[in-house]
Amino acid sequence: MSIMEYNGGAIIAMKGKGCVAIAADRRFGVQALTLGTDFQKVFPATDKIYFGLAGLATDVQTLSEKFRMKVDMYHLREEREITPKTFAHMVSSTLYEKRFGGYFCFPTIAGLDAKNEPYICNMDGIGCITTPNDFVVSGTAENQLYGMCEALWEPDLEPEDLFETISQALMNGVDRDAISGWGGIVHVITPEGVITRTLKGRMD
Amino acid sequence: MSYDRALTVFSPDGHLFQVEYAVEAVRKGTCAVGVRGANIVVLGVEKKTTLKLQDPRTVRKIALLDDHVCMAFAGLNADARVLINKARIECQSHRLTVEDPVSIEYITRYIAGVQQKYTQSGGVRPFGISTLIIGFDSDKVPKLYQTDPSGIYSAWKANAIGRSSKTVREFLEKNYKENMSDDDSIKLAIRSLLEIVQTGSKNIEVSVMGPDSILRNLTPEEVEAVVTVIEAENAAEAAARQSSK
Amino acid sequence: MEVLLGITGKDFVLTASDATVARGIVVQKRGEDKSRALNKHNLMLFTGEAGDTTQFAEYIQCNTQLYRMRNGMDLSTKAVASYVRKELATSLRSRNPYTVNLLIGGVDPKTGTPSLYWLDYLSSSVKLNYAAHGYASYFCMSTMDRYWKEGLSLDEAVNLLKKCLEELKVRFIGNLPKFVVKVTDVNGIREIEI
Repeated sequence: MSIMEYNGGAIIAMKGKGCVAIAADRRFGVQALTLGTDFQKVFPATDKIYFGLAGLATDVQTLSEKFRMKVDMYHLREEREITPKTFAHMVSSTLYEKRFGGYFCFPTIAGLDAKNEPYICNMDGIGCITTPNDFVVSGTAENQLYGMCEALWEPDLEPEDLFETISQALMNGVDRDAISGWGGIVHVITPEGVITRTLKGRMD
Repeated sequence: MSYDRALTVFSPDGHLFQVEYAVEAVRKGTCAVGVRGANIVVLGVEKKTTLKLQDPRTVRKIALLDDHVCMAFAGLNADARVLINKARIECQSHRLTVEDPVSIEYITRYIAGVQQKYTQSGGVRPFGISTLIIGFDSDKVPKLYQTDPSGIYSAWKANAIGRSSKTVREFLEKNYKENMSDDDSIKLAIRSLLEIVQTGSKNIEVSVMGPDSILRNLTPEEVEAVVTVIEAENAAEAAARQSSK
Repeated sequence: MEVLLGITGKDFVLTASDATVARGIVVQKRGEDKSRALNKHNLMLFTGEAGDTTQFAEYIQCNTQLYRMRNGMDLSTKAVASYVRKELATSLRSRNPYTVNLLIGGVDPKTGTPSLYWLDYLSSSVKLNYAAHGYASYFCMSTMDRYWKEGLSLDEAVNLLKKCLEELKVRFIGNLPKFVVKVTDVNGIREIEI
């Protein structure tokens, strides 16, 4: 068993037309044992940037706290909001600082930049960034999510359509992973604001 | 050559000027008294009048170091805060390492030790405070200790530090009785403070600890009540003296 | 083989820990209290490597007390849990980390609202309505899933706990004859017999 599969979890981010969406499951468990069904894996960095952390739960919590501090310090020092791209590099360098013996977390970032252009990316545990044009997936259900996203995603989806697409991809993806699921949460980031919805799924 | 500039260096006649200046800072600080009764120990402090818009609860001269140890000080408030913090950490650290609360003598010795260190290390100045430490050990006997900026510590039946402490100490020497009752101990502490606090009860704060090791802060009303009794007694005494003349 | 259980109720947290100290295949003691009161309204239960457990628990206990001495008020359950998580997370990446699993239960001293936190030695922290550590979780989580509901009375919670312990007696290979059961509510922490 890999340590990345100790707690389980699934995260997706998708680009839409002038909007982005990020979704995650809500399970907290230790291997096959489910303990909690409201575990937070997606966190807001700013009003227009959300990040998801898939992997070992302790590092999800440690890193989310670390990033919150770094973003707040950036905000105070620079007196402006961090952009998604800068934030991604901040996350990347934070992970690479611990190149040998690092965090067991794969971050996913979704946000709108200063011109409200969609930005998504994900990276591995040592901060190697990938920025595709369609969607990113990570977590123990990664393979299933790839299949779902590949089948459902299309370019230029409006916020509501993007919500439907990412939700369907998540719910059907995690159904084929024993250690992901137990409901989901979706954030659709639009220039007007963030639409957050929780999803009820199979609770087994 | 001046012997009071850089740090604590002896003058040719054996004085540590910095320490003496620290003692001077204590003399300028508000007064604090401690009185040991048969069963309780009392701390009384002279409280500076708080400004009209100031929150009086944030100006405290009596600090709890652990559940069963309490400290009052005279001198520089800011220095006291640092010393109190060090003492509180030591109290918990002591519990953690030996599973026992500190004894009053131990924590006094620790505080005096810290104060002494600041008279002999480079780049520091002594703490501008004297402290009175009260509390109960497992033997249920009331304890009262005093420390000063040089790091001397000693046990007392009753003592005063800070502004006009000499007057108050002399008063205590004259009026202290062995095995005082709880009420008498509180009364003596307040009466001694009244010697130098002209404004009466509103500038006096009193805390009492009994053998249950629980610190009780007297309410302003309780202090006021004792002050009224004392004033009545004084008036009666004065009247008696008048008539006998 | 160590077992910790925690159940939140209407205005209390009910906790139970097995009282057995074992080393390898030998039982050394029956009657050990595997919990420490952090302050009047917060209790921490611990299992894990012998030595690490009490050392870590007492370190936390002293620091929560120090907080009270410094600030004149107690830490809330949530604050204690965050603090403990941070300590454990820092320790996890040190040269010799603490191997302790914890349950932190407590109530808000004013409203009586209970909360229960589950932390493992990796320092994952989750707030749960009912929780278990050790092998007990494989036996008892399903029982608690079935019977736990919002606003349990103390009697109901005790009955649920009895069900869990009964299940352990029937199906668990380990022999755990005695449990230390405690209730944390607005009046403080007290041990009860069940």
